[in-house]
Amino acid sequence: MLIELKDIYKIYGEGLESEVRALDGISLNIDRGEFVAIVGQSGSGKSTMMNVLGCLDIPTRGDYLLDGVNVKELSDKELSHIRNKQIGFIFQQYNLVQNLNVLENVELPLIYQGIGVEKRRELAMEALERVGLENRVKHKPTEMSGGQQQRVAIARAISTKPPIVMADEPTGALDSHTGHDVLKFLQQLNKDGSTVILITHDNGIAATARRVVRLADGKKIEDHPQEVDWL
Amino acid sequence: MKIGQALKMALKSILGNKGRSALTMLGIIIGIASVMTIVSVINGANKKSMEMMAAMGTNKITVYASYNNGQDVFQDLYDFCQQLNDYVDGVTPNSQFDATVVYGTKNSSKMGGDGGMSYSMGGVTVTSDDGGGGSQNTEMPPTLYFGSDQYSVCNNFQIEKGRDLSLLDVKDYKQVCVLGARAAQTFFNYTDPVGREMQVNGLPYTVVGVYKEKDPDSQWSMDNIIVFPYTVSRTLAPDTQMSEFSVKAKSADAAVEATSRIIAFLTGLMGQNQEKGWDQVQNENQWQQSSNDYATMMSLVMGGIAAISLLVGGIGIMNIMLVTVTERTREIGIRRAIGAERSSIVTQFLIEAAMICGIGGIIGIIIGTLGSRIAGRLLMQMDIWPSLNITIGAFALSVALGILFGIYPAAKASKLQPVEALRAE
Repeated sequence: MLIELKDIYKIYGEGLESEVRALDGISLNIDRGEFVAIVGQSGSGKSTMMNVLGCLDIPTRGDYLLDGVNVKELSDKELSHIRNKQIGFIFQQYNLVQNLNVLENVELPLIYQGIGVEKRRELAMEALERVGLENRVKHKPTEMSGGQQQRVAIARAISTKPPIVMADEPTGALDSHTGHDVLKFLQQLNKDGSTVILITHDNGIAATARRVVRLADGKKIEDHPQEVDWL
Repeated sequence: MKIGQALKMALKSILGNKGRSALTMLGIIIGIASVMTIVSVINGANKKSMEMMAAMGTNKITVYASYNNGQDVFQDLYDFCQQLNDYVDGVTPNSQFDATVVYGTKNSSKMGGDGGMSYSMGGVTVTSDDGGGGSQNTEMPPTLYFGSDQYSVCNNFQIEKGRDLSLLDVKDYKQVCVLGARAAQTFFNYTDPVGREMQVNGLPYTVVGVYKEKDPDSQWSMDNIIVFPYTVSRTLAPDTQMSEFSVKAKSADAAVEATSRIIAFLTGLMGQNQEKGWDQVQNENQWQQSSNDYATMMSLVMGGIAAISLLVGGIGIMNIMLVTVTERTREIGIRRAIGAERSSIVTQFLIEAAMICGIGGIIGIIIGTLGSRIAGRLLMQMDIWPSLNITIGAFALSVALGILFGIYPAAKASKLQPVEALRAE
């Protein structure tokens, strides 16, 4: 099992009257090669879920085993390494570094891996070719459209060839046509063997995944495979 | 992350925000430039005064003594110093007097009338000219001294041409004189003065020798002098009472011993209540020492003031770096999310701060060098280049300031949880 969540709680202000249970006892297993959509309304806990799954946040209680390793027992440095090597993030707001150009943004995770210049350039160019931006490498993010920026972000996420790709509302800031391309790309990644976790509030978008996990008020209320809407 | 990559990243970030980087550097630039200028100028001045003191001669004792009845005290002092020959190399009067010196068309009373000034310092006449440019060519009237045959020993002169004053010249009231190099040039240009006759207050005096130049560049020349046997004062300047004398000791220790013995001797000679005269004895080594101490203290005080401006500059750096951290919280979050370790973030911000300060330091060093040169020219008519030590020190200081004041913002940046940092707008 690649991902095992065992009775995960994320509680803000525990013990206070204003206590918020963003994740309220969630258990979930995700296997290698799955394409899972985590769906829920705003405030359902899906973003918290993504942060926990992505090792960006630590659950209040419960165990999270990633590839058999309990995340709770890892140091900050080890968590950094996991984010760097195991997970590729795609965010709604792209989250590119504004003063770096396209190539430098895509190279960034490779820099933190300590990969040398030539190998780094090769891997980054490979990722940029996959998203069709190999001709825009010297552009700054601000000089590009939203769709192009999201493709840069995807290239950055896949440049290290991580086993898991997590996308948090990746089409949220895009028009439907561009969004369609992004989702198609995620499906392609999944076909190529990556485990893809897609966070969305939109059932239509969730329909592109092979499995749907629905959250409400921090609880899992639905979890089933589905017929895929291949794009 | 490799250090070369980190440096590149820092440079990129600095260049990506030119206006703010420049303003941040300003504090460091001003601080480093002023520290450099002040320290270099004080060092230069100190070096200059050390050179001047060395040229005047070390281990010198200046004696002021005079009988109330106007009788000459020198013979008594001379006799006493003969007994001190374990400690003393020579003794001479060191008295200035006024007279008109004429040779051919050159006339001392018609020289240097354009606002130049001359004054005596430690027994050596210092002549300066505030007439600005072209002053090198202005002829200044020489300063005239009465001295003994030991005048050159006591004042650190050496004979270049001819001979020095002799004991016989002194004993026999010979109408002779020895010229300093500058005075020789003024009156004789490049011809040999030895054997020529000059008119001093209308009396003929033969030049027997010329001293070697001691102080070639400075217009505060110690070489613009003419020395006469003190015994001719009766005819040349009868009103001059010799009350200032120089004693040359064999060593610094000897100077201390000789000073105390001369004080004791003069006290005996003059009487307890100064009924017979007055006296004062100074060991010039002490004066040199205290002047040296003073210069050191000055450079500490001034350097300290400049260091405060550096401190202010450093706090400016810290302030800007803190703002930068806040402004770039999201970027930090992104970097953390894609795998930057805390240490990478700390390194990034520290290198950025050190680099801003380092670049500021280099600019400060350039301005400080120019400042030292300009200040040296304007204040002291000297060519000052900051020493290598000061330059390296200034650069190291600026980088150290960057690191020192970058630590807190860098630590703050690295402590952010990735999820919180990503949430920032």
